[in-house]
Formats: sequence, C-alpha cells, structure tokens
Amino acid sequence: MRMCTLFISLVLLAFVGCRTDYDIADIAPTEHLESAEHHGHDHDHEHVDGETGDEHSVDEHVEDSHAGHAHSSGNRNHGTQWFFNQPWAAPFIWGKLFRDALIFLGLAAGIFLITGRRRKR
Amino acid sequence: MKAVFTFSLMTLRMLFRRRTLWGILLVILLALAGIASVPSFDVSNQGRFILDFGLFGIEVGALLLALGLAANLYPRDRETGTLMPLIAVPLSRWQYLLGRFFGAALVQAAALIVTCLGLMLILLFHRLPIPGDLLPATLLIIVEGWFLLSTVFFFSFFASPPLNWPLTTMLFIVSQMSVSEFVSAMPSAPGLMRAVRLLLPHADVFHIKDPIAHGFEIEPVYFLIAVFYGLCYSAFMLSLALAVFRGRDLK
Repeated sequence: MRMCTLFISLVLLAFVGCRTDYDIADIAPTEHLESAEHHGHDHDHEHVDGETGDEHSVDEHVEDSHAGHAHSSGNRNHGTQWFFNQPWAAPFIWGKLFRDALIFLGLAAGIFLITGRRRKR
Repeated sequence: MKAVFTFSLMTLRMLFRRRTLWGILLVILLALAGIASVPSFDVSNQGRFILDFGLFGIEVGALLLALGLAANLYPRDRETGTLMPLIAVPLSRWQYLLGRFFGAALVQAAALIVTCLGLMLILLFHRLPIPGDLLPATLLIIVEGWFLLSTVFFFSFFASPPLNWPLTTMLFIVSQMSVSEFVSAMPSAPGLMRAVRLLLPHADVFHIKDPIAHGFEIEPVYFLIAVFYGLCYSAFMLSLALAVFRGRDLK
C-alpha cells in the first residue's frame, strides 16, 4: 500500500511535471530577456576602444561594446541576465510556484489520508 | 493537537540540552566572523561580500542544523526503547512525527535567528549599513531549513544517521540545480528528468541574497509565495516520512 501511494504520487507528478516544470529563461517574455541584452538602445555610447571605425566589423563592435561599458544606476548591464532570471525578479513565474505549492499540499493531504485509512483497517 | 504541542515542547527542551546544537551554532558564528575578517584590500563594496557570503553561510548552517538536530532523533528513540511506550498509548505515529518536527523546527529557527543577529553585529562592527530585507531573507532560509529538516526526518525512517547526512546533502545540492542543468544529466529522457525535477524542490526560490547585496527591493508578495511554497513542500516531505513510518514494524 505504501509503495502504491508513492507510485500514485509519482504518476501524478509525472503527469504535470513532464509539461510544466521549466526554467525561467524558457518561458520569460521577450521584454524580460531583451531588457537585459538590448535595453532598447542603439549602442551609441562613447567607447574608449570603439573609435577605430572601419577596422572593426559590426559584430566585433557589438561584442566590444557589450564588454566595455557599464550602464548608469537603475539600468541593467550586459551579461547580467542570470541575475534577473531568478524567481524573485520574475513575477510571471510566481503563479507556477503557487501552483506547485498547491500540488505538493494536495499530495501531502492525499498521502496522509490514504496511509491513515490503511492503519485503521 | 495538545499532545503534539506538549511533545514538541519536550523535544525542544531535549534539543536545547544537547551539545550538538551549541557546537553547530558556534561553528556558524565562527564562519561568519571568518568571512568578515577577510581583508578588503580597499576594494569597494566590502559590505556586499560580507552579506552575500554571510547569507550563504547561514544557509549551509541551516543544513548542518537540520542534520545535527534530527538525523538521530528517531534512531535514538528506537535504540533507547522510548519510542514504543510513546506510540503505544499517548501518541499516534503522526503526532510523534509532528511533535518531533515542530520541536526541532523551533530550535532550528531560533539558532538561525541568532546567526542573523550575528551577521548584523558584524555589519555594524564594520560600520556597514544593515539592509532592511536581511530579516526576511533569514526567514526564507528558515523555511528552507524546515524543508531540509523534513527531508532528514524522511530519510531517518529507513537510513542510518551516517547515511542520512550524504543523502540529505545530495538532495540539498541537486535542489540548487536548474531544470536545464538537471535534464542535461540524462538528455535522452527529458520528460522523465523534468518530472523528477518537479519532485525535487526549487531551492533558488529561497535565495534572495543577490538582490539584497546589490540593493534591490523584493516585493512582499514574493515572500508570501516563497514561504507558502516552502511550507507546502515541507508538508509533502513529512507526509512521505509518515507513510514510511506508518508502514514500519517496530517490534
């Protein structure tokens, strides 16, 4: 019976888990990801090493510009996407957390009742 | 519930008398003092370093406390013969489990609050500002500690204390992994790995040391959701522990 309870729990979780467990980066809206990478600006900062003009390709310029400057306070810097892909910074995933919590609570109640009924018999 | 309350108070008194608690608490406080004594070499933002590593130290302390407090509660009760008289008359098995859990949870929470106060004193000593979200961050670590505590109880019903330590530590490490990291461990079965990952907790929910160290504000509703998530997961682990405990033949 105990194994049966565990098996049912696993099947229930597998049913929802196959489709519904994911990382924040998998489902983040475009604006959440873009705000960390592009900021909506056109890379017209003043770069120390960006004055060489024709000698660099566009890609190299973008790469250099990403690594070589820091944004003013309140704006996201390049390469900080990991920082904003944490649950506290992603309100769109809070609903999933709440749903997962309810699943666990339901499973806990189910296991408690099923194993308790077996003992009474 | 009166029986659970009385038994948890007995557990609390028993755990406060044990030297394990005070030893682990001393180790955590010494580790915090060690982190704070690393010279800054005039690098700015030393406060961030102390906060970040200090909160990580408290989190590891929560793991040590969970293991030190609860890993041998059930095995010792069984060895000393106190378990059978307890569950024969005054307590049912779920009351025994909840009483032990609540007692250990209160002791663990008190110890973690002491470590938080220790971190505050260190910040004050270095004349650094104390962030307003430090206490809520400690509250989330306490909830994470309760989840670890319920995991220790779960393992203690079928594993010896020396085996309980690596099992719980392994779960602690795995629960820090993201879904993609976990799936990449066995890329041939992504569906199965995602399902197994859902069974494991997402410990990153309890981590807010990065935003605190960098001065970001956390929305209060996030605290509520994170605490609710942690409590529900702890209830799930406790129910699994109870299922194992109820199936045990104690004769």
